[in-house]
Amino acid sequence: MTISPTDDGLAARVDTLTKTFGDGANAVHALDGVSLTVRRGEFVAIMGPSGSGKSTLMHVMAGLDAPTSGRAWLGGQEITGLSDAELTVLRRRRVGFVFQAFNLVPTLTAAENIRLPFDLDGRRPTAQEEARIGTLVDTLGLKARLHHRPDQLSGGQQQRVAIARALATAPDLVFADEPTGNLDSRSGREVLLLLRGAAQEFGQSIAMVTHDPVAASRADRVVFVADGRIIADKPAQTAEEISSFMLRTEGAAA
Amino acid sequence: MSTATRTRPSRTAWLREPGMGATILVGAISTAFGVVLLSVTEYLAALIRAQPGLQGVDAARAALTIVTAVLVGLSIYVGAIVTANTFATVVAGRTRRIALLRLLGSSARRERMALARQGLVLGTLGATTGLIAGLGASVVGLRLASDAWGIRVDWAILRPDLAAPSIAVILVTWAAAWIGSRRVGVVTPLQALSNAAEAPRERVVARRGRHLTAAVLVVLGVALLGVGIVTGGVSSSGILFAFAGGALSFSGIALGATFFIPPALRAVGGLFGRSVVARMAAANALRHSERSSRMAIGVVMGVTLVTMFAVASATSTRFFHVVLGEEIPAELSLSVDIFTGVMTGLVGVSAVIAAVGVVNLLILGILQRQRELGLLRALGLSVRQVRTMVVWEAAHVVVTSVAIGLLGGTAYGWAAAQSLFGWMPHAAGLAEGPVFVAPAIPVSIVLTVVAATAALTVTASVVPARLATRLSPVRSLAAQA
Repeated sequence: MTISPTDDGLAARVDTLTKTFGDGANAVHALDGVSLTVRRGEFVAIMGPSGSGKSTLMHVMAGLDAPTSGRAWLGGQEITGLSDAELTVLRRRRVGFVFQAFNLVPTLTAAENIRLPFDLDGRRPTAQEEARIGTLVDTLGLKARLHHRPDQLSGGQQQRVAIARALATAPDLVFADEPTGNLDSRSGREVLLLLRGAAQEFGQSIAMVTHDPVAASRADRVVFVADGRIIADKPAQTAEEISSFMLRTEGAAA
Repeated sequence: MSTATRTRPSRTAWLREPGMGATILVGAISTAFGVVLLSVTEYLAALIRAQPGLQGVDAARAALTIVTAVLVGLSIYVGAIVTANTFATVVAGRTRRIALLRLLGSSARRERMALARQGLVLGTLGATTGLIAGLGASVVGLRLASDAWGIRVDWAILRPDLAAPSIAVILVTWAAAWIGSRRVGVVTPLQALSNAAEAPRERVVARRGRHLTAAVLVVLGVALLGVGIVTGGVSSSGILFAFAGGALSFSGIALGATFFIPPALRAVGGLFGRSVVARMAAANALRHSERSSRMAIGVVMGVTLVTMFAVASATSTRFFHVVLGEEIPAELSLSVDIFTGVMTGLVGVSAVIAAVGVVNLLILGILQRQRELGLLRALGLSVRQVRTMVVWEAAHVVVTSVAIGLLGGTAYGWAAAQSLFGWMPHAAGLAEGPVFVAPAIPVSIVLTVVAATAALTVTASVVPARLATRLSPVRSLAAQA
């Protein structure tokens, strides 16, 4: 599946990515010829066992890491070959991040954490962005918590602040790395509903790395990664379907 | 990543961990300083003894030994603050490892004793290095001095008293490591499993008793200083009160550091502006306010003492002018200048040790904040912004402590001059009662301190900034917090 770089309506794409750590006999192929597109407004789950290469794939797509070979685009722009400074600005303006834990800067309040991408860019949010932030804060139920510091917030609240920050700049793509991995099941469900809502209501493109079938079942599309390759690319699945697919592939590998 | 090149962790692997080198260095500086001062004392005593007409070798020697003890004691004290701070920071960084060992059944006491033992080893290494370096410097330096002045003196190079600084450094480093690792006791085994957000500020245990003692010392000391200044206006005994008052109030200031340094840091932090990088830099210095306070107080002590000698000598010159008119004998002003220069240099050693502490703590702070820096880099903090943040963080602590030191040193220096020489105009029949002059602050000392501040800020931020900017966001995010 080779895509011409002028295709529109794409949030991100990568073409025959490889990533190799080490060399010679010790070489580890974290990515082994991965091609993938994410359409605008799509909520994609990237699934795979530990060491499958799913995190490396996300890091390359988000401009955090360079591939050994292959190309990557964000929106219409090629990001492979950009300098560290260019990638930094790109991440700040066009990528949103939600990590598993330690998502927030502990010395900043919730409000300051949400505005961090703008502050790092040295600018104030526009009126439109202010309105967006206001809506996000209301939707995420953070109004009463804005002046709290991360250690005064529950895990679920911290994760909602991270989501507000990730969505505030209306980035081309939000990367969520095990966003529910550290939460109790109720908070985890909430976080997934919020991500799902962001994709549906704001048309936000989201790539979520997870190994939780329940989390992945919230996505529009589930991509399975194993041994640095995409082994399946399926439309929305139930948790049962995902689990049984994973069990089958595990069984086949064993 | 390759396991083939990784050697088995040896019993001394911990020596290569961050912060350990600095502990050895401060121990070595104090020991070498002590050995050099004792050697110089011995050399001077031998020199006096060699002159047939001169008397009072023993008295001069005793006086020099007391000065040496005070100066070396001060540098060892500042070194102890640095070491205690290093260990407190190391414990914070090793929380997970300690928690895991606790989980597996080790007791808090055992872990704390292991850390104290490391302090003992580091102290011994530092003291040995310092002893050798100090002896070498003394032999070479005094040899060169003898040649330059064309004198021949036989002095005992190796003497039992030279062991004193080493022993003091070893014991104090050991104790400082024990005191600094106090927080091992609050690490719970559960912390090995939890993944909670880091608190932005360490909860400082309210130390009512300590702050009360500090306040009493300061009040008592300032009162005695006042008595000294007033008495000094009419009699030469004023300096005795002033000296006692100075020592008491200074101890109070050192003891009460955690009380007044954080507000001072907060005030200075506000000067850097409202940009998010400036705010984060300011907040970082306050994150562990106890550690920051101790890091700052070392610098405060050094700068206070350096400034004190300079201001005291410049202010004393004003009294000489009052009594002697415009013309001051060249010999008098030369000896005042030499005394000031020598004392400034000697107390400057403590400032250098404090500076080592600042650099060390900033490096440890960056290493322990890897994950946060990784997050910030992922979110779009540029390499340049990382560098700015680190430099401002260093400048924040350095500027605050230097400003306090300059103020304190000016006050102490003025009080010293006033209580030492305030009586001279009266005694000379030039005034009815005590004469007060304004403190004189030599431009040279201000320039020196400002230059040293800039140099320290740059030095203190170069290594951490390089560490911080070299971090790959991916690897930092994966780092264990």
